Amino acid sequence: MFRYALRRVLWAFPTLFATSLILFVVTTLAPDPPLAFDGDGLTDEPARARFLDLPRFVNTHPDDVRSRAETAARHVATGDARGEGAARRLERLGGAALPYVLPLLEALPPVQRQELAAALMPVAVRMELPGATEVDLPEGAVLFWTHFRDDRAVDFTQAAVSRAVDRLVEHGSSLRESDLVSLDTFALADLVRAMMTTDDPVALERLTRLARHAAGRGPVLTWKGAVANGTDLRRVRADWKEWWFVHATDFATIDAFARPFAVITETRYGKWLKRAASGELGVSATDGEPISQKLRARAPITLMVCALAMLWSLALAVPIGALGAWRHGGTFDVASSVVLFVLYAIPTFAVAEVLEHAAIANTEEAPRLALAVAALTVGSLATISRWQRAAMLDVVRQDFIRTAKAKGLPAWRVALVHALRNALLPTMTLAGMHLPVVFGGAIVVEEVFGLRGIGYETLRAIEMHDNAWLMVVVLASAVAITLGMVASDIVCGMLDPRVREVLMRQQARRET
Amino acid sequence: MREESPERLPPSVTIDLTRRTNPRLSGRLVGARQVAMPYVTMTRLALAQLVASRRARVGALVLGCIALTAIFSDFLASDLPLLCRWNATTYVLPNIVRPAALSQLSCARMRELRKAGDWMVSPLVAFGPTEKDADADVLLPPCRRGHPLGTDAFGRDVFARVVHGSRTALGIGVAASVVLVTLGIALGALAGFAGGLVDGLVARTIEALTSIPTILLVLVVGALVPRPSTATLLWTIALTRWTELARIVRVEVLQVLGRDYVTAARALGSSALRILLRHIMPNAIAPAIVAMVFGVASVVLVEAAVDFLRVGSPDTVASWGEAMGEARAHAGAWWLIAFPGLALLTTLIACILVGEAARDAIDPKLREHAFAEDEKL
Repeated sequence: MFRYALRRVLWAFPTLFATSLILFVVTTLAPDPPLAFDGDGLTDEPARARFLDLPRFVNTHPDDVRSRAETAARHVATGDARGEGAARRLERLGGAALPYVLPLLEALPPVQRQELAAALMPVAVRMELPGATEVDLPEGAVLFWTHFRDDRAVDFTQAAVSRAVDRLVEHGSSLRESDLVSLDTFALADLVRAMMTTDDPVALERLTRLARHAAGRGPVLTWKGAVANGTDLRRVRADWKEWWFVHATDFATIDAFARPFAVITETRYGKWLKRAASGELGVSATDGEPISQKLRARAPITLMVCALAMLWSLALAVPIGALGAWRHGGTFDVASSVVLFVLYAIPTFAVAEVLEHAAIANTEEAPRLALAVAALTVGSLATISRWQRAAMLDVVRQDFIRTAKAKGLPAWRVALVHALRNALLPTMTLAGMHLPVVFGGAIVVEEVFGLRGIGYETLRAIEMHDNAWLMVVVLASAVAITLGMVASDIVCGMLDPRVREVLMRQQARRET
Repeated sequence: MREESPERLPPSVTIDLTRRTNPRLSGRLVGARQVAMPYVTMTRLALAQLVASRRARVGALVLGCIALTAIFSDFLASDLPLLCRWNATTYVLPNIVRPAALSQLSCARMRELRKAGDWMVSPLVAFGPTEKDADADVLLPPCRRGHPLGTDAFGRDVFARVVHGSRTALGIGVAASVVLVTLGIALGALAGFAGGLVDGLVARTIEALTSIPTILLVLVVGALVPRPSTATLLWTIALTRWTELARIVRVEVLQVLGRDYVTAARALGSSALRILLRHIMPNAIAPAIVAMVFGVASVVLVEAAVDFLRVGSPDTVASWGEAMGEARAHAGAWWLIAFPGLALLTTLIACILVGEAARDAIDPKLREHAFAEDEKL
């Protein structure tokens, strides 16, 4: 039993993966804005936040700080058409690029060396290196960087930076702060990491100030703000985390372990999936509220409507369908068949509409939730009871029912124990597959009755073109429905060993 | 001796034998041939039963009427006359041809501006589906001033919207189901036939698509696409609803592949394509018909629901769902729900009747019970 459940759960993963692929393709339906490229990189920030600079599925040449720095340096040195943009880019890459650009400096012919060294000087100024402002000749710049490499190369190692940042958090001083200023963007990875872990307001202020200095953007958290309320802290942290998620490869190398996977992870799909999987769902375009928070606020209403409708329709449909089949051809069967057939054909939104009109005509304060559940129940009730009737009819015609009757068992026992138990299984399986329909119906019903659930919010998002919310909603509902189907399959497996066997046998056949 | 045997043997076998051996006998087997033809496939049996089913006949009749309404909707309700003489020129079917000279006119205006010698033959209702009444007769109840079913909040004639809505509904429904049936058969057959990795891929895709609510996906795609149109809706539904049929066809293919006659065909040197077309496809046609009919129903339903939620601008294409959505803002206007709702319900019921009769016809388990069931409904 446990093995069956485990196997069924594991089988859901490829399905979820396929769902994510489909939904990713759907996201690309939104038109891409025109992109602004500068030097060798995308400068359009909103476009970068959507990873439009990355290929869709396969990245054969994943860029990191090293490749970016080397390309930019080469463009600057040769002074070609892209040199202008590349110089700006090199300045933006800053300290993180130095370990890769300075060795290049030695290898270049003299004229190109001077070009490159001069282009690097703004970085030195930002790093507040002694004597950086006095350098005005290209020859001086070359000399400056040669000295810098001899003196400071030791500081530009991962371990040294981690230690420096840890020390700053432990016992911060302005001297330690200026040490980190001279590391510039090379320290960003550790600064952002420390921001997420420490709660010390003074340290947070220093960290955000340093990060802002190096990155040239982003919020600074004053220690007063950090002490006074948690919202500032959360907002600033989220901002830096998001920024680092997008820009990490500008300032950090892809290490040897991650490099083989970068072919897949450094793509639009990879980033999108990582974001979705980690619950980083972005920010709603309509009101700037984080989507995960909004989802948490809205989902209970929708889930409750769905669950109540499902429970009610199962509770009503099973007896109706079973009784109809048991008294096959009787008055109840014919009457219920006709009524259910009509109910089956009536669209949910029409039921909701009629109910709403009726309720508004009669009472001012209509019980909206109850009406919504009722409207949603009608459709599912008809569908499920028709399945139940068909399943029961199948069972009732089998020989073992005749045998049970013949050996003199009371009718109720034959009906409930022999027939209904067997007839319930197909209904349960189909009820699991009915979940998407119920969910889709809930969206409509919420809108009609003005319940502020997921459906209501989704329709507002469509009006406001809030694409981030739309994608999250489809993904979340698909995941929820997949989980519901897994649950219904596991219940069926518990009730019926044959169902378990099918999955196991399928497995065996696939393996051989 | 031989002349008696046909009555006792199952009809299909009998015909197959007598046709080849004794042509004189075939004249005596007319009754039997109506039930089944030579080369009995599952599809032929199912079709024979489908034709005999009363549910299917009623459903098909209703669907036929709706289809006729859709095709001839311009004759039932249009803003231009069927035949008219205007400014000394005779126009034949201006409601379909749409001549430039009459582009600024409508039946109502033509009646006002009529000069001597002008005459016109109006359609049943002299209003188009998007035409707003000049008198600003908004929300008229039924049977007032030439509007048999009343008008909506924009002063558009409800009868015209219902009649022209059938064109939208059936057009999208049939087009989308043709695509989804094609996709379903192709992918289902491919999965069953190829097996292995392809099978796994198709199976995962089916499961993934099943777990996404169609209405939600249609709404979201409509919001993401730069210029959403009816075609967007059509493709979204067609590309996501093929899963059910593909699942059935796949199982069908797997079952047939295990039969002896396929092994025999393979041993005789038939190519994979021949086996697929000759031995497998005939069995997949019956499920395809079922999927097609239910496909039309579900597409019509989704289209109506989406239009209901996105109540359009006054100039949108006529659609039942949109008409019903307008009733939300106008509490007393029952005719805005009732008539389009009735049209929608009739279409859905007819589709379901035909679809269920077809499904029962395919199911060999139900074959002997089907006629008994049929008597009841």
